[in-house]
Amino acid sequence: MSHVNSTVFTIVVAVFILVTGIGFAASRWRRTQDMMHLNEWGLAGRGFGTFITWFLLGGDLYTAYTFIAVPALVYGSGSIGFYAVAYTIVAYPIAFIFLPRLWSVSHVHNYVTPADFIRGRYGSRGLALSAAVTGILATMPYIALQLVGIQAVLTVMGVGADTTNTYLKDVPLFVAFVVLAIYTYLSGLRAPAAIAFVKDTIIYVFVIVAVFYIPAKIGGWSHIFGAAQTHFTSTNPATGKPFGTFLPTTKKVGSTQLDFVTLALGSALALFMYPHVITGTLAARRRGAIKRNMSLLPAYSVVLALIALFGYMAVADPATVASVKKTGNAQLSVPYLFQNHFPSWFTGVAFSGIIIGALVPAAIMSIGAANLFTRNIFKEFFKPDATPRLETRVSQWASLVVKLGALYFAVELPKTFSINLQLLGGVWILQTFPMLVGGLYTRWFHRFALIPGWLAGMAYGTLAAYNTSSPTASHWASSSDIVFGFSLYIGISAFILNLAISVVLTLVLRAFKVPEGPDETLPRHFTVEATDTPAKERASVTAGEARPAPGV
Amino acid sequence: MTESAAAPSGPGSTAASPEVRRNPVSTHPIASLLIGLLLLASIFFALYVPLYGRLTPKVGAWPFFYFYLLAFMPVMAVVLWVVTLLQRRFDTEAGGPR
Repeated sequence: MSHVNSTVFTIVVAVFILVTGIGFAASRWRRTQDMMHLNEWGLAGRGFGTFITWFLLGGDLYTAYTFIAVPALVYGSGSIGFYAVAYTIVAYPIAFIFLPRLWSVSHVHNYVTPADFIRGRYGSRGLALSAAVTGILATMPYIALQLVGIQAVLTVMGVGADTTNTYLKDVPLFVAFVVLAIYTYLSGLRAPAAIAFVKDTIIYVFVIVAVFYIPAKIGGWSHIFGAAQTHFTSTNPATGKPFGTFLPTTKKVGSTQLDFVTLALGSALALFMYPHVITGTLAARRRGAIKRNMSLLPAYSVVLALIALFGYMAVADPATVASVKKTGNAQLSVPYLFQNHFPSWFTGVAFSGIIIGALVPAAIMSIGAANLFTRNIFKEFFKPDATPRLETRVSQWASLVVKLGALYFAVELPKTFSINLQLLGGVWILQTFPMLVGGLYTRWFHRFALIPGWLAGMAYGTLAAYNTSSPTASHWASSSDIVFGFSLYIGISAFILNLAISVVLTLVLRAFKVPEGPDETLPRHFTVEATDTPAKERASVTAGEARPAPGV
Repeated sequence: MTESAAAPSGPGSTAASPEVRRNPVSTHPIASLLIGLLLLASIFFALYVPLYGRLTPKVGAWPFFYFYLLAFMPVMAVVLWVVTLLQRRFDTEAGGPR
């Protein structure tokens, strides 16, 4: 491995070993008598306070997508990439409105997954299944994207550059992921929660240093913004159009203001639908911890905004532009930017931050997806009398399978495909919004109306994404398409279709007095604070509580 | 609301009688309105791009669009903190936990 800088490599390996140690040791953290319960393995005992929840959710929400894909989008297209900044601003007030209610009802009924709530609220196995399947489908490519992020860092480090064998090239990735899979299997959610402390500390340090250090080295902020403006407004000779936009335009089509707003809003609505984010939320001990976190998490959004700006720094730095051009992969822009300007030891710190930044969410995502499989597919349809012990065992194995599946995705499929799938995942997961958030406020929606609405949203979203094209790609080119002459985010148009069908069919089904199904929740369950009742005593609450639905 | 008599044996039933805790929105109409307005306004001003999608006035070297987005983060944190404090008054005054 002659291309590898030994300082960078040593630091990355050292941090990885440290984190692995923490991951294994975490199984003893806040230990209780019976670890073989999903409340323990999958939700770390539901006992995290405000402080740990902040690290856990921060480590969970800001993934390799943030560190690699967002600046890559900014590097490639300009201002539209900043939708991610607007989206992380509005995600918190939106979540502040409904997330405490989801926490409370899940606390009372011991729900582990969002689909558990849907099952209890609407008394519909089919509806819960649709939520579970959507969650798993949307999470898999998201995990694969974490691996793509690690690959980007390893590529710039020069690891595996001497070999042309795909499998040999990906050995470090394989090792990292198998180790991650083993300690997640053993420690459950405790592992990523403990590692999140290391991750977030490294990220904060390197981002704050980079944001002062790199502009000073490459000519200051006015040079950075000036160079970006010049680049994105100049014409690309290959397409005859500008390279991108420096501000969202007021036109009808392209990177418009409407496109920007719908991307931001749609992504913000989708964010807290993801199973891994709900897993992080339900691990909190108190309802108040969730609310306080909504006002503390914007600290991470500042970091995200600065990371997005790394994309412009890369554009303004000729050395980085040259490196990226050689590989033809915009995702390498930030790793190259660091390597070109930081001393090797600090590059090592930054790269290890990005790598752990991918491992923490990957672990939580696999736990969230595994819990969905166990609770809403395995237990619901195959083994209704599964003991907590068996449930935990199944979840442990499912988390392994999910990670191996994602590894296969990342190694076998072209990288652009993973990113497109991830964009599609956002469109998909948004389609569970009416049933989940709608259900937190009202039983008005009919269960048999929500299913066709969901199906229509999924089908439309997938088809619309398939049909987008660009000069370089005939399909899956974008997450926005043109509706009635305006560019807007596919997730939003699919969501509107979904909602419209759900509303119309609910009116019809109610007119025909089709049975609504039992509802095991009560209005006051949605505002309950933490109680002193230990989780184990609540374990049986979900069973046999089904009662006729009260009128709305 | 007769169904509360047949409530599940969850922790809710062991807490102070639920019917004593009235709906916070009806007991604190002005604070609730304020919370609603604060949340809606913060979402609106973050998303309404025509308001801030321009180059000038520049703040230092930063075009307005980029400065505005960055400056909105601490504003949002403060707004949500204020809302949390307002809501806590609901709990304590209604005699609920904490």
